Amino acid sequence: MHLTDDQLNEYLDEVTTERAVIESHLDSCDECTARLSTLQNLFIELDSLPELELTRDLAARFFPRPSLPAQLPKFLTLTASLQAAVALAAIIIAVPFIVPLMPAIDASSLTTLFFEVQSQWTTSLNFLSTFQMPTMPEIPTLEMSSLLITLAGASVLWVLGNGLLLRNQMK
Amino acid sequence: MTTPTDRDLILRARRGEREAFGALVTRYQMSVFNVCYRILHERGEAEDLAQEVFIRAYDRIHTFDIEREFGPWIRRVAANLCLNHLESQKPTTELDDERDADHAPSPESAQEVRERSEQIRGALASLPAHYRAVVELRHYQEMSYEEIAEELKIPLSDVKSHLFRARKILAEKLHASD
Repeated sequence: MHLTDDQLNEYLDEVTTERAVIESHLDSCDECTARLSTLQNLFIELDSLPELELTRDLAARFFPRPSLPAQLPKFLTLTASLQAAVALAAIIIAVPFIVPLMPAIDASSLTTLFFEVQSQWTTSLNFLSTFQMPTMPEIPTLEMSSLLITLAGASVLWVLGNGLLLRNQMK
Repeated sequence: MTTPTDRDLILRARRGEREAFGALVTRYQMSVFNVCYRILHERGEAEDLAQEVFIRAYDRIHTFDIEREFGPWIRRVAANLCLNHLESQKPTTELDDERDADHAPSPESAQEVRERSEQIRGALASLPAHYRAVVELRHYQEMSYEEIAEELKIPLSDVKSHLFRARKILAEKLHASD
């Protein structure tokens, strides 16, 4: 008489109370040994079933979400606003000085334009070379000087401001 | 720097460190997902329920007995949740076509192992849900017959008959496919 399925299962699950009887039978019965072997192989295969990978990270919701790009510090925002204001003021101041120069430029041809700009530039350089602030009572000279100073100041502020902004981004 | 123990992470999570619980999830998410997958046999559903397991565990982290091992406990919670889910969703869902999609490229030598795994998963998936449940609890959760009976609220004799019958079916299917 062969072992039952229950006996073989309980033997492998190590819950049988008749271990010695079963082992004694297995020693002399090839058929039951083969059935036990089949069952043992199943156990091994179930145990060795590889784990599947997840397609998403379940832990993600428990970690802080990546923060949005940090906002600019308040003082830098203020600097940017200040730059804009200074640039605007510089343009407003510069317009009355630049507009009178515009009609003098005849844009009929590029060559003419080039020579005229060159001529204007030479004139300006000559003018600047003779520039002496305390002894020049002419208003346009003083205004030109103010214009240059304003533009230079605006440029410096612009460069500084952008430098600070870029440095912040690099961090 | 030493790796924190489960106990450390649980204590930190109890103090409100959400990231500490995140570290626990990272540690156990794969095994929990695989419990869900073996029972449900549908990837999307298994991932959703695995996520649900951790959310529930986090909500109840203050009631967790710190002397217990977290791994077996969370896997048992997962098994319970999936079995309840199956119970509320009869008939059982169809097999997922992509159930064994392996996302990592594997060498040709691993092909046979993958094919055999596919056969085993297929055989498991073909079992009725109540057979699948006892196989999961016995073979993967390593529960005793009595614990399974308690867990599933069925008589001990049913546990044995379901389990032995399930094994017979599996052995026949896998032996036939050899």
